[in-house]
Amino acid sequence: MVPVQYYLLVSAAVFCIGVFGILTRRNALVFLMSVELMLNAANINLVAFSRFHGNLTGQMFSLFTLAVAAAEVAIGIGIILVLYRNFADVDVTNATTMRW
Amino acid sequence: MWIEALIAVTLASAGAVFLSPNKVAGKIAFVLSLLPVGGSLWMYSTYEASGNALLEGSTLAFETNADWIVAGPYSLNWHVGLDGISMPLIALTTVLTSLALLASWTPIDERQSQFYGLMLFLEASLLGVFSALDFFVWFVFWEMVLVPMYVLIGVWGGPRRKYAAIKMFVYTNIASLALFIGFTALVFGLGDAVNTFDMAAVAQALRAGELGALGPIGAGTLKLVAFVAMFVGFAVKVPVVPFHTWLPDAHVEAPTPVSIMLAGVLLKMGTYALLRFNFTMLPDIAQQNAQLIALFAVISVIYGAMLALAQTDLKRIVAYSSVSSMGYVILGLVAYTVYGMGGATFQMVAHGLISGLMFMAVGVIYNTTHTRMVSDMSGLASKMPITVAVFVAGAFGYMGLPLMAGFAAELFIFLGAFGAFEGSVLFTAAAMFGIVIVAGYLLLAMQRTLFGPFEIETDYEVSPAAFHDVAPLVVLILLVVLLGVDPNIFFEMIQNAVDPLAPAAGGGV
Amino acid sequence: MAALSFELAPVIAALPFVSFLIALLAGAFAPRLLPKGGAIPGIAATAGSLLLSAWAALAVWNSSEGVYHESITWVAGVGDAAFDLHFGILLDPLSTMMLVIVSLVAVLVHVFSLGYMNDEGETGLPRYYAGLGLFTASMLSFVFASNLLMAFMFFELVGLCSWLLIGFHFREPGPPSAAKKAFLVTRFGDYFFLVGVVGVFATFGTTAFAGSESFPHLAEQVLAGEASATTFLGLDPQAWFAVLGLLVLGGVVGKSAQYPLHTWLPDAMEGPTPVSALIHAATMVAAGVYLVARMYGFYALLPQVLAFIAFVGGFTALFAASMGVVKKELKQVLAYSTISQYGYMMLGLGAGGYVAATFHLMTHAFFKALLFLGAGSVIIAMHHNENMWDMGGLKEKMPVTYYAFLSGSLALAGIVPFSGFWSKDEVLYEALVHGLDSPLLLGAYAMGLLAVFFTGFYTFRMVALTFHGDPRTDTARDPHGVGWNVKLPLVVLGTLAAVAGLVNMVPVAELTGAHLEFLHDWLDAGPEALTAHHYGDLLPYSSGTIGTELTTVLLSAGVSLGLALAGAGLAWKLYAVADPDEHTDKLGSAKTVLFNNYYQDEYQVWIATGLTLPLARAADKFDQGVIDGVVNGVSSVSLLSGSRVKRIQSGVVTNYAFLLTASLVVLLVAIGLIGGWF
Repeated sequence: MVPVQYYLLVSAAVFCIGVFGILTRRNALVFLMSVELMLNAANINLVAFSRFHGNLTGQMFSLFTLAVAAAEVAIGIGIILVLYRNFADVDVTNATTMRW
Repeated sequence: MWIEALIAVTLASAGAVFLSPNKVAGKIAFVLSLLPVGGSLWMYSTYEASGNALLEGSTLAFETNADWIVAGPYSLNWHVGLDGISMPLIALTTVLTSLALLASWTPIDERQSQFYGLMLFLEASLLGVFSALDFFVWFVFWEMVLVPMYVLIGVWGGPRRKYAAIKMFVYTNIASLALFIGFTALVFGLGDAVNTFDMAAVAQALRAGELGALGPIGAGTLKLVAFVAMFVGFAVKVPVVPFHTWLPDAHVEAPTPVSIMLAGVLLKMGTYALLRFNFTMLPDIAQQNAQLIALFAVISVIYGAMLALAQTDLKRIVAYSSVSSMGYVILGLVAYTVYGMGGATFQMVAHGLISGLMFMAVGVIYNTTHTRMVSDMSGLASKMPITVAVFVAGAFGYMGLPLMAGFAAELFIFLGAFGAFEGSVLFTAAAMFGIVIVAGYLLLAMQRTLFGPFEIETDYEVSPAAFHDVAPLVVLILLVVLLGVDPNIFFEMIQNAVDPLAPAAGGGV
Repeated sequence: MAALSFELAPVIAALPFVSFLIALLAGAFAPRLLPKGGAIPGIAATAGSLLLSAWAALAVWNSSEGVYHESITWVAGVGDAAFDLHFGILLDPLSTMMLVIVSLVAVLVHVFSLGYMNDEGETGLPRYYAGLGLFTASMLSFVFASNLLMAFMFFELVGLCSWLLIGFHFREPGPPSAAKKAFLVTRFGDYFFLVGVVGVFATFGTTAFAGSESFPHLAEQVLAGEASATTFLGLDPQAWFAVLGLLVLGGVVGKSAQYPLHTWLPDAMEGPTPVSALIHAATMVAAGVYLVARMYGFYALLPQVLAFIAFVGGFTALFAASMGVVKKELKQVLAYSTISQYGYMMLGLGAGGYVAATFHLMTHAFFKALLFLGAGSVIIAMHHNENMWDMGGLKEKMPVTYYAFLSGSLALAGIVPFSGFWSKDEVLYEALVHGLDSPLLLGAYAMGLLAVFFTGFYTFRMVALTFHGDPRTDTARDPHGVGWNVKLPLVVLGTLAAVAGLVNMVPVAELTGAHLEFLHDWLDAGPEALTAHHYGDLLPYSSGTIGTELTTVLLSAGVSLGLALAGAGLAWKLYAVADPDEHTDKLGSAKTVLFNNYYQDEYQVWIATGLTLPLARAADKFDQGVIDGVVNGVSSVSLLSGSRVKRIQSGVVTNYAFLLTASLVVLLVAIGLIGGWF
């Protein structure tokens, strides 16, 4: 059996890629994909621990997360569409009207 | 169930008035407000209770104690009930609200339904504050009072209403935070001894000395810190100098009926809470620091009166004089004698009626003259004899004329405080000098505005006030005289409720 | 019989109170239904009070104990060592005598008011009669009060009535101001009184005047070492009781217009003249002196306080009399004379002359009310001009007023055999015999004696300027007539002023050996603890004599009569001429000082407006600047820091993400460091 540490390493790597994407990319779609990466990193953790502990609760949670992620994507795409309609672009650094 | 019914009827009335058309909102509100008046008077007539609500061996009137929320080890109860301290205040609240509603007919000329609805909502919250016996229930009502008050000042107020409303709200809200932290710290400090926020349980545990350490803070320090936090929290509401500066601003900007409620009932929340929390739950701290607290009281009395002397706006004069009068209450509380604490409670009612009366009278004058500046008017007695007569009577009541409620209250406080603790003789004598200054500024203001040759610059004829403006004034002055001639209407039940608190003190006369 | 008259005692005060209610309510709702603007109910009520008072006095005399003492509990104390507060009635020789005096003067003043107020077409009569009714009710209640607290309460209420009635003509600027001053100055004294009342409660647990549980009795026992009492401020009983006595005395000094709180009384003359007669001469001002007499059993135990009372009294007598010498207005002369006469009463009380002071209180009530009413009659005649220099020669025009006024003046000046002579002489005699052993008292006596000369002078200056010589103005040549309602009270009081002294002719009694000291007997008729005899035992004084007792009596009477005649004669010579001069320039610089009342008003006004008001304004500045400044400062600082911190809200999502990540990292590192992961 593959030890749990490997899963965790993969999960950490995926998470970091997601964070990196969010910090450096300007395209809103890439942004959204990065968020998905981070969520999936969490999912990997949940499933890995679930297996590690021999308890199905973690996998249950990962299913929840998938559902939430789907809903989130729907809202995210909606936001991106509105963003595009208002700014004629999907560059997140352009939309700075919501500040102090 | 009567207290719940009282609050529910008042809330329902508030809702009904909200939905009513502006034109008739005032009349509907007044008629509906007679229901709680009748209810509270009925409760007064059937009132049967003894002892102090928070201490052992008491029986309460109209008590309900039901589970409400259970959170972890702590259970929060819906616990309401009346004893001799809260009953008079309930009666005061209902009666004064009705009269304030009547006094709103003339000055409030826009968004009437919202105004009257909020006034009734305010009344319901106040009834809750005075009847709640569980800290969380009490705190919810305590904070609920602020909401209508903020809107009432902020929407219907004078030119600087926003400043005044925000100042009042933020100031008192920060104070609420302090008292909340203070009280919850005490409950957590009690540890396993008490796992409820019931005020009686907490008070009895604290008086039994079951307070333990909370984290790194020892029991002694915790007591002191909690006392200070709660004292400051309530002192803002009372207000005690130097936490008083929100009051004159709020009064000056608030419309007359809101001022009546503010001075008549809201300030009493502070002293009521001081009595219920600080002075009932932590008597040892209060007595150890009696001189310091008495000093605050004396400063409030004398300094407040001096400030009133310097004012040129009638409403500011009355506002600052409230600071002065509430100082007496603090002095009475710290005395820990039946006369002192009973007198303090009686003063809450007496001052509620008299300051309500004064604000109402100033309001009636303002409705007619459209100015409150002392220098702008003279000789009003020629034109508005009845209003002026009641104003004069109220002013003498404020000065503590015998056979009026204010005298009885102040006399009880002085009798109770004189010799009650180390140095109390001098503190009492110093506070009593307030009766000279109060006479000074009220007589001076009356001489300038009411008497002398009639002079005021208006482009219309100054005429006597309408019946519905004068009637509440007359009712109030009659109540003041009634309570002054026979204080036992309330004083007997008050004595009964504060008596269990008094023996904690060594001194007293 | 006797029992019924006692049972009816509350009615004595209730009747005028009913007349107050009638005048108030009918005046507000149905003025036309009110006969004579309220005068008729007032006269009926006060006449009823007079009859009941007289009946009560008779009953006191006939009853075996000589006292009626009943009280109801106003507020019951709860808890250990708590005390009850009472309302009660104490009828003994002293209080019934005072009840008769007050109700008699009240009746006469009500009748006089018909002429002075109704016939002169004043407006607001219901208000006037309501004020008089409330005053009479409060004053009578004060008089029969059985304890110090109740006395204080009605003491304050008569102050309110005084305020209402001085300011009766509220449309003019003067009266409201005078009313305010009167109330404030007396309030200042009442502050000490209230502290005293509270102190008496704290010390003795009771404020009753009479009975075995009364505070004078308890004090006596404490000082005799038979009981103990709580004292405060670390004082021994003797000193603490003296403090209490002085505190209560504060109210007395204010109400009885003694130095230094006398300044309100001359201003109070702004009120209608009948009011001056009733309140500011015969009754309310007497309340202070009466209070000392009422609790004399307490004061008699306190030698320092007695000496203080005597000295203040003697000084005030002289001080006020000297100011009365130069006044131009009739009522002003009378006002200063009133202050001076109450000084005599204080001197009498302080010197141990309980009967003498009470005697003077009675005779003064008659002759000073008479003089004020006479002045009122003159003022009606002069169309409300009070300046004596505009009068002259009124003697022929108004003989009834003249003879009545003359009777009052002779009594005031202390000319034998008018009432004032007997009472004033007895006061001075007591001061002299007790003063022979005590230099301080002798000083007070000397001042009182000197004041006799001034009294004679200003009294006859007043009479001469008003009634003698040639008329100096057209009004004086053709004065307004006065009706029966003015003359009747004058005649009654004029007679009393002449003969009231006969009740206690001490010098004659000493000379002839006949028993003529009826007032002594009367005041000894009460219960033992309240008698003049008992007070005499308590007093710390011993008497000295010059030669025999008889020579002392005669010497004292002779000296004071001689001085009075000298003063009167001098005034007569200077002013009872066809066209009198002012003669005040002969006083030199003293003239200015006297005209300005020794600058007493100035310094008191300065304390009020020059010291207290600026202090109040400074406090206001401090409040607005510093205390509210701190509050507003806190809000400004919060706003400012908020406006800085909000800058991190840049609107760029990437920045937020960075902040999130960075914070997470910082948090992790911190937790790691604390948790010891590294």
